[in-house]
Amino acid sequence: MTEGSRWSARALVRGLAEGPAMVSGTALSFLGDLDIRTGRVVGASSDLAGRVVAGRVLVLPETRGSAGAWRFLYQLKVHGTHPAALVLRTLPDPSVVQGAILSEVPVVMPSDAGFWDAIRDGEILRVDGDAACVAQNSNG
Amino acid sequence: MHLSERDRALLDGAEGEAARQAMAALVQLAEAYDAPDMVDIGYAHVHAGMALYKGDVELIESVAGQGARMAVPVSTNIANADMGDWASTGAPDSLGKLQKRAEAAHRAMGSATSFTCTPYWAGHWPTWNMHIASIESGVTVFANSVLGARSNRDGFFATYAGITGRYPRFGLHLDENRRPTHRVQVTARPRGTADFTALGYAVGRAVTNGVPLIAGLDRRPDLDELDALGVGMATSGGVAMFVIPGVTPPFGPEADGAGLPEAEVDEGALAGIFGEFSTGDETGFDLVHLGCPHASFEEMKHYARLLEGRRVADGVEVWITTNRVVRQMAREAGLLAPMLAAGAKVVSDTCPISCHFACTCSPDPALGVEPPKIRTILVDSAKQAHYVRDMIQCPTLLTTSELAVESACTGRFHPRPRRND
Repeated sequence: MTEGSRWSARALVRGLAEGPAMVSGTALSFLGDLDIRTGRVVGASSDLAGRVVAGRVLVLPETRGSAGAWRFLYQLKVHGTHPAALVLRTLPDPSVVQGAILSEVPVVMPSDAGFWDAIRDGEILRVDGDAACVAQNSNG
Repeated sequence: MHLSERDRALLDGAEGEAARQAMAALVQLAEAYDAPDMVDIGYAHVHAGMALYKGDVELIESVAGQGARMAVPVSTNIANADMGDWASTGAPDSLGKLQKRAEAAHRAMGSATSFTCTPYWAGHWPTWNMHIASIESGVTVFANSVLGARSNRDGFFATYAGITGRYPRFGLHLDENRRPTHRVQVTARPRGTADFTALGYAVGRAVTNGVPLIAGLDRRPDLDELDALGVGMATSGGVAMFVIPGVTPPFGPEADGAGLPEAEVDEGALAGIFGEFSTGDETGFDLVHLGCPHASFEEMKHYARLLEGRRVADGVEVWITTNRVVRQMAREAGLLAPMLAAGAKVVSDTCPISCHFACTCSPDPALGVEPPKIRTILVDSAKQAHYVRDMIQCPTLLTTSELAVESACTGRFHPRPRRND
């Protein structure tokens, strides 16, 4: 990836956030896979198991359906353990979007397929839910 | 997207700050899902405000404190304590009193304070083609599949829908998404609500987020069985609607789902669900729970008959959970007396997975909430079993309602026998 790359995206939740990317290849359920108090991934089926999502730009292929997802996303926010932003490959359940709006966590779905080949864990990403894009931070 | 004159007025604050924020959030949701416009809703089933989650009752209080008033009939979802008698379940006063604050906030907003996962048994019965919003996935599936109302699987935004009377037109509010995507042939012969929760659980696994057409049932399920079927699917999958030809409006008996991807649920699959959720020691259960989802009046009659003249075994506790309205009707019909005489507890507003038994929430340390040590919970619902496993994190035993009562009174687990008919 060239420094300063920028990919267009479909904006699901407005707002601007920046943080190190945490890239997963498995689906994540906000209800059950995360410990609210610490933001640690406790779900054994996630390849992020053991890692902490707080302050990260969480890059996920999909979220697993649960109508309770909103409550756990909001609880992460209340505890200050929430991800900075979500970058999703597939359209999530309305509950996830509702939780993200309530928690002011921007969410985008990159429409530029190149994103998925280029993205590396730990790189600093800037997610812009207003301008509908995700960009590599030039200082990253 | 197209906004009506009133939508725009709400966004401008014409009906107050709470309604302005609610409409702004609904517009964001609409944009996320490319909704062309908003629809009028006729009813909303909203978040209770849960005392076991930090800041959650305060969230409801802040909405009420901004002067929010419900624009449509509203019921409230299940809560974390029986607000009339939390001590009987071992919940600390601090938790019960905090939960009670949510009740006051909802009353101020004009919501019916039903605190239940089955508001339909408390009289909230939306009808065909009515758009509604619901935070409870079991209500969503019952409304879509049995009543013909239109609902997505929502979260907190059901509250915003209640305040504004509006909701974005997407998902199951659109005709094109209310068609079957799978055909599930049922060769099993489910009988009673426990069987139907297990059938639903098997179907939800097979179709994940699809709309299954259920074929092969040998009779029309009764209302409690339809309720049980839906909650099972909504638990194992993201199912928001099923189609039973001749039952689900507007599908006539001729609907057959020909050409759709197929799955089958036979007796082996049904028995497999009971087996999967029977992980506990067969003489080591300390709680028998009946009434998931919250029992209807018909189910209360059934439980009362089963417990009449019986006595719960030493060392076993029995909880029958229902909503406040049904509990009151059951009391006046003389149904509570035989349950209480047998040593059972009748609990409303909450249930084992929603109360202080759950380990997955984050109560304020000042509340002094300590989940009790529970060896095993015996249940008559695959939904309750699933969440006991995940949220209370103890083993389960799953059987029929009749055999759950038999187990409670003998202190020994009576598993559901395989059915050969």
